Amino acid sequence: MLERHKQVIKQICDLIGGDLDDSSCRDVLEHLNNCPTCKVYYDTIKKTVFLCKENDCPEELSDEAEERLMRVLNLEEIYKKTKSG
Amino acid sequence: MDEKKLIEKAKEGNKAALAQLVQKYSDRIYNLALRILRNHEDAEDILQETFLTVIEKLHTFDGRSSFFTWIYRIATNASLMKLRKKKVVFQQLNDNPDFQDSVESRVFIDWSQDPSITIYDQEVKKKIDEAINKLPDIYRSVFILRDIEGLSIKETSDIMSITEENVKIRLRRARQFLRDYLSDYFEERIGQENA
Ligand SMILES: [Zn+2]
Repeated sequence: MLERHKQVIKQICDLIGGDLDDSSCRDVLEHLNNCPTCKVYYDTIKKTVFLCKENDCPEELSDEAEERLMRVLNLEEIYKKTKSG
Repeated sequence: MDEKKLIEKAKEGNKAALAQLVQKYSDRIYNLALRILRNHEDAEDILQETFLTVIEKLHTFDGRSSFFTWIYRIATNASLMKLRKKKVVFQQLNDNPDFQDSVESRVFIDWSQDPSITIYDQEVKKKIDEAINKLPDIYRSVFILRDIEGLSIKETSDIMSITEENVKIRLRRARQFLRDYLSDYFEERIGQENA
C-alpha cells in the first residue's frame, strides 16, 4: 500500500469528525477525489458511524427507576413534592 | 435558576436544588451507562453510584471544568470500573500511534451505497449491536462519547482523562473495528444479492 494511502486513512477519521485543520482537509479531499481505494474506505467508515448513530435510541428513565434513585439519594420527599406539583 | 446557582445552593445543602440537578442529568447519565454497559440493571446501579459520588464530592467541584464534564467523568469511570470487575481478562491497550491494525491487507468493497443496508432491516440492526458489543471497552467509551453522544474531542479527552491525541487514536481504532466487522457481513451480503 502506498505511503500516501496510509497517511490519508489516518486522516480520514479526523476529517469525518471535523477535527482536521483546513489545509490538511483540502489535501485529504483532493486525494479522495483521485483515489478510489481511499474513497471507499472513507465512504464505508462514514456510513458505519451513521448506522451506529441511527441505531442508537436513547431511553427514558422509568418513573420507578427515578423514584429508586431519589430514595437512595435521600431526596425522596422533595422529589414527591415536585412531582405532585 | 441557572446551573451555577443550583450548584452553589446544592453545595450549601439545599435539597431542592440538589434534586433539580439530579433530575436534569439523570436521563443522560442513565443512557451513557447503558451505552457503555449494555445492561439495564447495571446502568441503574451506575446511575445511583454516580449521584452518590456527586453528593459526596460536590464540595470539591471548583468549576474549572463544566459540571457536565465533571459528572460525565464520574459516570464513565464508574461504568468502566464495573465492566472491569465483571471481566476476568483485561484487554490489552495499544495507544501507539504507529500501530496500523489490518488496513493494509484489506481490499475495500463499497457497500455504503447499497440501499438495503439500513437500520430498518432487523438483520442489519442485529449486526450493528453485535459489532458495538464486541468493541473493546476502552475504544467503545471513546466512540460513545464522541460519535454517539456527539461530544467534542476536547470534551471526550477531559472526561476520559486522556490526551486529545489518544482520543483520536482510539476513535480511529473504534471506527475501523466497527467498519471491518460490518464490512465482513455487508460484503458477503452484497455478494449474495449479486449472485
Ligand atoms: Zn489513497
